Amino acid sequence: MKINRYNIVFTRHKGFVILVLLALITCLSGWSYINDGIETGPYELVYPANFGNRINVPADNPTTKQGVYLGRLLFYEKKLSANNTLSCASCHQQDKAFTDGKALSEGVDHVLTTRNSMSLANLLWARKFFWDGRAGSLEDQAVTPMTNPHEMGQSLEISVRKLSNTVIYPALFKLVYGDGTITGDRICKAISQFERTLISCNSKYDQYLKNAYQPTKQELNGMNLFMTGPNPGKDIRGANCAHCHGGPKTYNELFHNNGLDSVPKDAGIEALTGLAADRGRFKVPTLRNIALTAPYMHDGRFKTLGEVVDHYSDHLKESEALSTFLRGESNDIGGKTLHLRPEEKKDIIAFLNMLTDSTFVNDPRFSDPNKTTVQKKLKTSPK
Amino acid sequence: MKKYTFIIIALFAFFINPYLTKAQPTTKEASVKVTGEVTLPLDLKLADLQQFKQVEITRKDRDGKDHTYSGVILSEILLKAGVTLGKDLRGENLTKFVQVTASDGYQVVFALAELDKDFTDRMIILADKVDGNPLLPADGPFRIIVQDEKKPARCIKQVTGIKVQFAK
Repeated sequence: MKINRYNIVFTRHKGFVILVLLALITCLSGWSYINDGIETGPYELVYPANFGNRINVPADNPTTKQGVYLGRLLFYEKKLSANNTLSCASCHQQDKAFTDGKALSEGVDHVLTTRNSMSLANLLWARKFFWDGRAGSLEDQAVTPMTNPHEMGQSLEISVRKLSNTVIYPALFKLVYGDGTITGDRICKAISQFERTLISCNSKYDQYLKNAYQPTKQELNGMNLFMTGPNPGKDIRGANCAHCHGGPKTYNELFHNNGLDSVPKDAGIEALTGLAADRGRFKVPTLRNIALTAPYMHDGRFKTLGEVVDHYSDHLKESEALSTFLRGESNDIGGKTLHLRPEEKKDIIAFLNMLTDSTFVNDPRFSDPNKTTVQKKLKTSPK
Repeated sequence: MKKYTFIIIALFAFFINPYLTKAQPTTKEASVKVTGEVTLPLDLKLADLQQFKQVEITRKDRDGKDHTYSGVILSEILLKAGVTLGKDLRGENLTKFVQVTASDGYQVVFALAELDKDFTDRMIILADKVDGNPLLPADGPFRIIVQDEKKPARCIKQVTGIKVQFAK
C-alpha cells in the first residue's frame, strides 16, 4: 500500500523531484570540490628577502599549485619502488628535516646506499645536487634514487605503468600537464616542484635576524665563534664555520675536502673529474635543522654534533687535497687545528640548535598526505 | 703432473688477474674553460698558458707577506677567445661581466671594463706560479690574482671556468 502511495506522489511530482535531486547533486559536488578540490595556478614561493633571489627553477618546470599537490603525493608514493615499500619519504622524513637518522639507508634489495641521506631544505637555492654535486637540477637528481637498484629500484617505465593503472593519477597528471599522459619526466618534474616548496625560514636564528628573538648568552657566544675566524695574534678566538656555512641560509654551494681521512675510501668528486685536487671532496651541506639530521658527514660517521665539532677542532687529517682554509687555522699561535675549549664547543652546539626550524618539520603542507587523510577519517569516525 | 701444474698456474692467473689489471685512478690534468660571450671557446692547460706573454704581480696573501705571482693577463686570454675588449668595449658590451668559478664552487665576478687596459692599469692575471714555483694543489694550478685589491677574496683559487656574460 505504502509503495503505491509513494509511486503516486512520485508520478504526480516527477518533474519537481528530479529538479530537487539535480539541485542536491549540484550542491554536493560543489561542496566536495571546495572540500577536496585541488587549487590551481602559480605557486607563490614565499621566503625572507635576506635569502636572496638567486633561485633555481627551470624554465620548463614552473611551480604550480596543482604540480606541487601532485609532487607531494608522488614524494610519499610507495608504488614508485620495486616492492611498493619505499617512497622518497622513506629516506627523507619530515620530522628529521627530511633525512632518515641512519648513516646509510637500506634499499628495496636490502643493500645499503653508499652515502648518507641528505636533508631537503631550501633546495630552491641549490644548483648542484648529491654529495658530489653531479646533478644540475632537482629534476635530474630525482631519477637516481627512484631507479637505483639499491634504493627504490624501479625503472621509470614500470612506475609510469603502475601509476597509469590507478584512478587518481591520470586525472591529476591531466590537471597538471594538460593531458593524462604519465611519463618519467613528468613524475620527476612534479616531485621537484614539491621539493622546491620545502622552505625552512623560521628557526630561532631567522627570528634573531628579524630582531624577534633574543639569543641566550651561550647561543651568542656560539654565534660569535661560528662567524669569526681565529686570529691568536690579536687574541681573537673563533671557529670560522661561517667560511662555508655563512649567510642567512647557512648554506653556500661549496665542495670541500674537510680532512676526514688522509686516504679517503670514497673518492668523492675525484671519481667524476679524475682530478687529484677533488679527492675526498664533497658538498658542504646546509646547517639548517642540523640538530635533527644526525648522523653526519657523507658517510654518516659522526653520531653527534659534539663529534663533528671535535673533528673540526682537533682531528683534521692532512692530505694534499685538504682544503686550504682548514690548514693552519688555529686559536693557538702556530697551531695546526682550531683547538677550541670544551665550553666553546658547547656554545657552538647551542648556536647550531638555534638553526632548528620546528615550523618547517611540522608544516602540514609537507607532511604525508595519506596520513593526513587517515587522521581526518579517524577524527570523523564514530567512537 | 705437468697437466696439474698448468691448471694450478692457470687458476692462479685467473684469480690474480683482476688485481693486476685493476684500473688505476687516472689523474687528469686540470684546465680552465673560457666560455659564454666568446667567438672561440678555450680549454687551457698549463702548457697552453705558456704560449701567452708572461707577467708578474707582487701582492700580499692571507699570510700578510708579499708574494710574486706570475701568469698571463686575463684580458689577453679573453682577447684570444674573441671577447669584446679594447675598441669593442663600448655600448651594450659595457654590461658584460666575467664570472670566474673555482673547483670548490666558489664564484666571483669582474665587470669586463675592470679587465681592459684602456680602462685601467691595474692588472688582473691568471697565475700559475707563486715565487717561481707551481701553485700548491689546494690553491692551483690556476689562480686569479688582482693587483692592489685590499681584500684577497677575488684572488680566487683553483680556477676551472671563466664565463663571459651579459648582465640581464
